[in-house]
Amino acid sequence: MKGNRYTFLFAVIVCVVCGVLLSAVAEGLRHRQEVNAALDVKKNILKAVKLIEPIPPEATPRDILEIYQVKIDEKVIDAEGNIIEGKKPEEIKETEKNQYPLYIYHEREQIVAYAFPIAGQGLWSTLYGYFALEPDAITVRGITFYKHGETPGLGGEIEKEWFQKNFEGKTIWSKKEKKLTPIAVVKGHVEDIYQDERADFHVDGITAATITSSGVTALLDRWTRIYDPFFSRIRQGR
Amino acid sequence: MAEALLSKKNKKIIKDGLWEANPITFQVLGICSALAVTTQVKTALVMAIGLTTVTAMSNVIISLIRNFIPSKIRIIVQLTVVSTVVILIDQILKAYFFDVSKQLSVFVGLIITNCIVMGRLEAFAMSNPPRKAFLDGLGNGLGYSCVLITLGIIRELFGSGTLWGYHVIPHSFYEAGYVNNGLMVLAPGAFFLLGCIIWIQRSISGYSEVK
Repeated sequence: MKGNRYTFLFAVIVCVVCGVLLSAVAEGLRHRQEVNAALDVKKNILKAVKLIEPIPPEATPRDILEIYQVKIDEKVIDAEGNIIEGKKPEEIKETEKNQYPLYIYHEREQIVAYAFPIAGQGLWSTLYGYFALEPDAITVRGITFYKHGETPGLGGEIEKEWFQKNFEGKTIWSKKEKKLTPIAVVKGHVEDIYQDERADFHVDGITAATITSSGVTALLDRWTRIYDPFFSRIRQGR
Repeated sequence: MAEALLSKKNKKIIKDGLWEANPITFQVLGICSALAVTTQVKTALVMAIGLTTVTAMSNVIISLIRNFIPSKIRIIVQLTVVSTVVILIDQILKAYFFDVSKQLSVFVGLIITNCIVMGRLEAFAMSNPPRKAFLDGLGNGLGYSCVLITLGIIRELFGSGTLWGYHVIPHSFYEAGYVNNGLMVLAPGAFFLLGCIIWIQRSISGYSEVK
């Protein structure tokens, strides 16, 4: 049996070696990881706005950045829905509460879509994504979730195409009642539940992922309302 | 004298992990992840590769320092080594294989708590030289992988009607009234399946708890 002094010494050495190794690797790879993460965000904005010519699968990171730069205008809006001229999303400071990034997709000078970031609590994790509307500010053009820690195969289905396709063509405005209708996720299939106009405000849910689904409903409600001052102006033609 | 890598003894080490002493069906370890990540073949495969790598690597490391580890703190040393290896892999994936790392998401962290890894360290690596420890880690990892992938195939096929994300059950079946089995998607379904797999494997290998 080795003495206590040896045991302590051994523990310290193990900690130092592992600690130094991990910090060195994390520090050394940080730049690459950040580049990857930033590129992933841009890819997701492009995915949410549903590019008219989709990105070819063999596109390099540089191609994607180029497409992004040409087609996406980065703007910042305030709580009243005014665009703050000359400000970029990355310039929003943490202390500036009521400023929100907005991404405008245009093709040949024509606006094709508006996209904005969405985030909220799921079951295990915070879900991050983008939500895009058509130029009419009513019809959903696309949605993506790019970061989450939900159970794969259950809540993790939010990142799958079938779930995201669900949203396309739905509307966030009730023409009958003249009010905002953030998209909500139902349990099961929409067509089994709603036969009227409400079918347009709801999407199919994920089996066995009720909490993630209601998380999506809650975050869409929150962010649709936050961006509504901006979109209601478009709807009124101002 | 170094013995050949695939000598009879060494083959037995791998075979033990794969069949006779399979970590899931014989040792009944790693059940948590076998239930959680097998709704789809893809995730099951990725988890299987991750666990096999981690078990083999940490087995080697622990085996290299086995004679220096004070027995009082051996468990925590093992845990530290496992976590270091797992985080290292996670960091490298994030930097060079971003898409893979996104798919793995929570699983990488889950490997740390997988009983198979620590079980092999404690049972094998602490008392065997590095080469054998490596083979043992590999064998056990592969044994775990086989069960996981089998579960993944059955669950994805009957639970979602797909394999590797592609629809394999024809639409005419659905029109004729076929429905996907919802139980397969949920954890209890995996429990029943796993029970059957353990039963089948044990009856073939002739293992019995009552000697």
